[in-house]
Amino acid sequence: MSAELAVEDAWVTLGGTPVLRGLSLGVASGTRSALVGPSGAGKTTLLRAVAGLTRLDAGTVRLGGRVMDGTPAHTRGVAVVFQEPRLLPHLDVAENVALPLRASGTSKRERRQRADELLGEVGLGALARRPVAGLSGGEQQRVALARALCADPQLLLLDEPLAALDPNRRDELRALLVALQQERRVTMLVVTHDRAEAAELGDRVALLMDGRIVQEGEPRALFERPASVAAARFLGMSNLIASTVRDGRAVVGGVPFDCPGPDGPATLAIRPEHVRLGGDGPLRATVLEAVYTGTAVRVLLSAAGALELTVTVPTDVAPRAGEVVRVDLPPRSLWRIPGEADPS
Amino acid sequence: MTVPRSGRAWGVAVAVVFAAPGCLLVARALADVWRAPAILPQRWGTRGLDVALSGRALDALATSTAVAVTTTALALLLAWPAARVLGERRLRRPGLVLAVLALPLLVPPYATGQGLTEWFVRLGLVDTAAGLVLAHLVVVLPYVVAALTPGFGPRLHALEEMAATAGLPPRLVWRTVTLPAVAPALGAAAFLGFLVSWSQYGSSLAVGGGRPLLPLLLVPFAGSDPQVAAALGLLFVLPAVLVLALATRAARSPL
Repeated sequence: MSAELAVEDAWVTLGGTPVLRGLSLGVASGTRSALVGPSGAGKTTLLRAVAGLTRLDAGTVRLGGRVMDGTPAHTRGVAVVFQEPRLLPHLDVAENVALPLRASGTSKRERRQRADELLGEVGLGALARRPVAGLSGGEQQRVALARALCADPQLLLLDEPLAALDPNRRDELRALLVALQQERRVTMLVVTHDRAEAAELGDRVALLMDGRIVQEGEPRALFERPASVAAARFLGMSNLIASTVRDGRAVVGGVPFDCPGPDGPATLAIRPEHVRLGGDGPLRATVLEAVYTGTAVRVLLSAAGALELTVTVPTDVAPRAGEVVRVDLPPRSLWRIPGEADPS
Repeated sequence: MTVPRSGRAWGVAVAVVFAAPGCLLVARALADVWRAPAILPQRWGTRGLDVALSGRALDALATSTAVAVTTTALALLLAWPAARVLGERRLRRPGLVLAVLALPLLVPPYATGQGLTEWFVRLGLVDTAAGLVLAHLVVVLPYVVAALTPGFGPRLHALEEMAATAGLPPRLVWRTVTLPAVAPALGAAAFLGFLVSWSQYGSSLAVGGGRPLLPLLLVPFAGSDPQVAAALGLLFVLPAVLVLALATRAARSPL
């Protein structure tokens, strides 16, 4: 059982500060969406409002077409995996997983049986009779996930589910979340400040800034064609170049690049991993700094006309500081931010 | 498991220090004749117990128990919401609230009792059981609130929210999450509340109107007949020990 989520024009003020300011968001039934945004943008508040833990000042939350305002949390059919696992210390692993079954007065034997099945699905079959205190952070998070699934929810909300995990565990849990969602076709909304987590977990990603959704779409569209300078900065599209477009061309560092659209001032953006170094690139630039990040090298370049560019390159082809390199900005990766004349 | 020798010696020392007053109380209660400088009584006997139990001691035991249980129950009911608000740090100036709550403790209980008596006369509560319970409540409540407060906190609130999103109605959230989490503090608060009421002398004397309560019965004997006082003291200690045992049990096993 899964249902479509529709939030319409939601407003929430907490302690005198407006947190949600006319937020609208839709998640189609049986799909995975990620809501990403900087800290304090209102992500957790939205999650709480959808779950019925925070009241909306205005607007509505609909689940499967039904208006949820005034419906208490325990009858909404919305399960939450919180940022912290929130396990009950006086119950063992299986009883924690089976907690939702207590609402229907299910017998202890049946609860155990259902918990064992779910624990098997999240890869913790052997831990059913253990106290929760001895589990690792990742195991606790899986128990919390199994508990949320045990409620057989119409909508599954997850608050930064991967944030506390080390990189290897993170990949495992990501794969598990995606597999479980696809298998059950439960509607899923993940809330996170981590743009990589959002891209990895969402079929679609919504960008939340200052209490509103500023852009929504497939991950690639969002990351490569941001709708504003603020969105570009948050999504890691850190090369923002002020230029002027004339006759379908924009001049960057004294060199003209193809850039369709109307004539006039423009802000161009390109992701650090899309800038090409070497070959016969038309731009010449000096390497100011090359920072080894473990998986890549981040290169800071300075070209003519006070142009600075950040480029990420594989570790085996990285230039050294002081070198002069040739640079290309491939036209299909160069994005003109709509309606923005000046990146500052 | 082996305990090191020095550890065992310490254990024995601590046990002796704690057991000695109890043993002395028993000995004093059962000593018909015990003149100094003898270490042991010259004659053992049950005169103390006979005198103690022939008076109004059993009446007093019943009254003291009823008053202490009622007071504690009321105090827990009143303290629960207060402790919840204080424990979740929802107040901007919690110190102020605790200070106001503790005011009756800054004055000797007899003085508080006298003040209450004046008003109880006007309200027709003086010399009634209700008045006695109310007077005890004034002294008991601050202790119960203080003992119950650590049972609540942001963590408990987070667990209750989780249980609600897991589909548990409020009644079940209370039983499965709240009560087990608060049980240790609840046990401590109940124990403390009972003891404070049980040993209340000043306010009972002022408000009680001659109603027999154990502390009131015991004090006059302390000077005149130590043997009877010791026998009453035993009577005084037993229910307290019983409540301690119950409170410890409640604290250990989630209800």
